[in-house]
Amino acid sequence: MQKERYIRFDRYLNNELSKEELKSFEEELKSDHDFKEDFEIYSALESSLGSKLKNEEEEIKLRKTLSDLGSQHLKQVENTKKETKVISLFRYRNLMVAASIALLIGFFLFNNGKPVYGDFAQHNSLELAVRGDNNYAISKAETAFNSKNYEEALKQLSILSSNYPNDPEINLYQGICQLELNNYVEAEAIFDEISAGNSSLSTKAIWYKALTFLKQKKFNECKEVLKTIPETAEEYQQAKKLLKKL
Amino acid sequence: MNQKPHEDQVYIEALLKNDSKVLSKIYTKFSYKIVSFVKNNSGNTDDAQDIIQETLVTIYHQAKEKNLILTCPFDAYFFLLCKRRWLNELKKRGNNRVTIVEEMTSITEEQEQQVEETEIFELQHQLFESKFKELGKKCQELLKATFKIKSMEEVAKFLGVSYGYARKSKSECMGKLTQLVKNSKEYHRIKS
Repeated sequence: MQKERYIRFDRYLNNELSKEELKSFEEELKSDHDFKEDFEIYSALESSLGSKLKNEEEEIKLRKTLSDLGSQHLKQVENTKKETKVISLFRYRNLMVAASIALLIGFFLFNNGKPVYGDFAQHNSLELAVRGDNNYAISKAETAFNSKNYEEALKQLSILSSNYPNDPEINLYQGICQLELNNYVEAEAIFDEISAGNSSLSTKAIWYKALTFLKQKKFNECKEVLKTIPETAEEYQQAKKLLKKL
Repeated sequence: MNQKPHEDQVYIEALLKNDSKVLSKIYTKFSYKIVSFVKNNSGNTDDAQDIIQETLVTIYHQAKEKNLILTCPFDAYFFLLCKRRWLNELKKRGNNRVTIVEEMTSITEEQEQQVEETEIFELQHQLFESKFKELGKKCQELLKATFKIKSMEEVAKFLGVSYGYARKSKSECMGKLTQLVKNSKEYHRIKS
């Protein structure tokens, strides 16, 4: 009797019942509470397990994406002190950077062979993923910086830095804004301070100090600073490239 | 209930398509709040990452199976789900000294309802899965095969049995599972 019932459920869900069978099935659903309850569970199970098992592989792939994103965005801040920090760049941005460098190679010929600031100042976009609650200032700072509105970005970053006084990332971006706004003294002071500390951004700060000299065409000072970037640093390759051109 | 989806439906679609570019926005835009909530309540960043990931996977399953339509902003919906999941987790860990730092989230009835739907969906999902594991090995294998392989003819071939036998066994196994669910305490709790 019970077994019969489940066979009917299966056939109903597969649209295999004849007209008469269908009619009595639907009548039973209305009149027999137990029958109805069984059917509801049966079909919910069918849909739930079916969906789960069919999408098993897709779920694994999604989990991989999410755990990558999680480690990239959430752990970044925590690991600042321990590891070299990689601020993610959008891929297309990388391509644009590559393309613009290629285009700019031509300009070197007209510049006495000396490199110019613009060729090397490719800032990673500002992504202050996980900070306290100052959401408004964070998103404003990000938007402003990433759209090269350095004045506004500097304003927002200053607000943020009062909440996170010793945050090297916020400080670094303040420095970059100052540099972009040609406030060399302020920029240099900030970069000096960061590079004196032991955060993972210290070599990045050295690199930016070199760029501060480059922008002022102080090539010798620039060279000296570049030489202090250790081989193990993320910025070493860039530094080598720039040194060659100087 | 033919509601128009909220513009944040893009996040649901990104989960379905495994679109990491859009998904990364969930992490940059909405997650810091969850991290600080977890951290303020006896957790760490790893806990927060797990909570966020499990919540997103649940939303994915609900979207896959039930065609979830988001009618409220993702932010509040997602935050509330993560928050409640973390509080549950703390309970499981036997941590009773929770100082719940309330976030200033004003919740509309609609959001509350959407959150509840997702939670009920998950409870049901978990119940079904745990009962599935109580089935005998043979039933488990047979059902796995029937759900993964589209046609029952192929299932029969795969298992080396006749088509009729495969069909009959399938409905029998599903019947057993139905009874296991029906007789569980959890089922009645979810239902009420």
